[in-house]
Amino acid sequence: MSRLLVAGLILFPFIGLVLAFPARFDWDEAIGNTVVYVIVLGFVNVWLGIGTAWWLMFTDSKWKTPVEWFTFLPLFIPVLASMFGMYIALAPLGLVGTHIGVGLVLLVTTLPYSIRLAYNAMYVIGRPLLEQTLTLAPWSRFGLVLFPLLKETIRTIVLFSTVIVLSQFVLVQLMGAGLIPTVTTQIYQAYAGNDVSLALQNTWVLILVPVLLYVGLGGLFGIWIRLVKGRLQ
Amino acid sequence: MSLVLSGVQKRFKDRDVLRGIDLEIPNGEIHALVGVSGSGKSTLLRIIAGLETHDSGTVTWEETPLDGVPPHLRQITMLSQSPLLFPHLTVGENVTLATPNRLSQEAETWLARVRLPGRYNAEIHELSGGEQQRVSFARALAASPRLILLDEPFTNLDPELKYELQRLIRDLVRELGLTALLVTHDREEAMLVADQVTLLEAGRVRASGTPQALAETESTFGDFVELDGKPYPSLHIEVTDSPTDDAVQLVRSFTRFGHRLGEYRRKQGDYVILPRHESFRDGETYYLRKRQGGI
Repeated sequence: MSRLLVAGLILFPFIGLVLAFPARFDWDEAIGNTVVYVIVLGFVNVWLGIGTAWWLMFTDSKWKTPVEWFTFLPLFIPVLASMFGMYIALAPLGLVGTHIGVGLVLLVTTLPYSIRLAYNAMYVIGRPLLEQTLTLAPWSRFGLVLFPLLKETIRTIVLFSTVIVLSQFVLVQLMGAGLIPTVTTQIYQAYAGNDVSLALQNTWVLILVPVLLYVGLGGLFGIWIRLVKGRLQ
Repeated sequence: MSLVLSGVQKRFKDRDVLRGIDLEIPNGEIHALVGVSGSGKSTLLRIIAGLETHDSGTVTWEETPLDGVPPHLRQITMLSQSPLLFPHLTVGENVTLATPNRLSQEAETWLARVRLPGRYNAEIHELSGGEQQRVSFARALAASPRLILLDEPFTNLDPELKYELQRLIRDLVRELGLTALLVTHDREEAMLVADQVTLLEAGRVRASGTPQALAETESTFGDFVELDGKPYPSLHIEVTDSPTDDAVQLVRSFTRFGHRLGEYRRKQGDYVILPRHESFRDGETYYLRKRQGGI
């Protein structure tokens, strides 16, 4: 009975959505911006997240502790609080109202989580096993061993950064100065303006982007691992 | 000389781990570094492998300094206590990954050399601990190294398997003409495997020589036994049949250089090699205590 209740609660919002599947689907600037942010930030988060976690794993640098603290910051400081600091810092550089400004703010919001996810995964794999990869050339190290070993972590980082990017309204609105439309900023206007058709379309974009990315990445990793194993047979 | 270490020093926070190590290992030699835990032997191995940096001194191979050379360009492989195989790859793929040209035939050959023929497509978890360690050894050899570092690779194996693998590794390293550096705290192992032995004590070289020479001159040749939480040279410990808090089981009896020795298994699972009374029998329980009446 309790399982049925939980399933019902989870599925309830989707029933309405399925019943109201948008009649039209028009690709616009907001969807384009959103997709570009999701892909670029997903890529940068994986790259910098794994790179920083690797550095944290192996370094004896005096900067190790401050960087570790930085990765904990989002757990202590709400994004809205740190956002004004970023706004004040980026405004004199002329980055407010630009794609770079919005991208930077979204990156600062997502990167600490990505570093922590990657670091935790490496911690579980263990330093001795990771050290074994150091005897391989860098391309082999990442392509043949680290990416396959970290594939679920990479998918989680991408999913996590995607969901955060998609859910940020105030950040994008403030840093974009109202000049950078995304699906999230547009959806509020659509609801406010009672444009049900646009609101439904954007809602479905919000659902489909992470799902497609997660499933797509899973497929890509499957192909990648088959290629790796084929190379070693 | 192939591998030359000169004045190598390393400090971890407030502790000097290596205090100026000088060591020369000629080509084709199996050299053992023997010492208790914390004597700096594994740190030295990691420095040679490029996994750790040293604070001062030099490490050279064939007169070429290794400082700053990344691990994958050193042509040095390392075998650890644990097999450390990649779980997403099969047994053979782990070995092929290490071969310079990524040839599976080469990997098959190496697997046969470590007595695992036909196991190329086996998953790692299908193998026993000893078999996994043999795969790890095949992987280390498949990389065509000029120097192989052995960091207590036999520690987690049961005695039977340990002796089998010790002989296998010794014979293959000799046959291939490789230079090998073995880290161990086990005197018997150093005697069996190595041509030369260096005793490390608190980050310094205490003595160097052949295993036979050191066995005669150095009472503390590598063997320390922990009793009441403190390490004692094995010469200070005796095995008795009078009960104490430290029960051990005699698992194997043997004679070396005229000395009657026994391999005893402790409650914690580790093994110690100590003198054995003529009346002692394999499988029986005996007890450790500090030697009575001085040394």
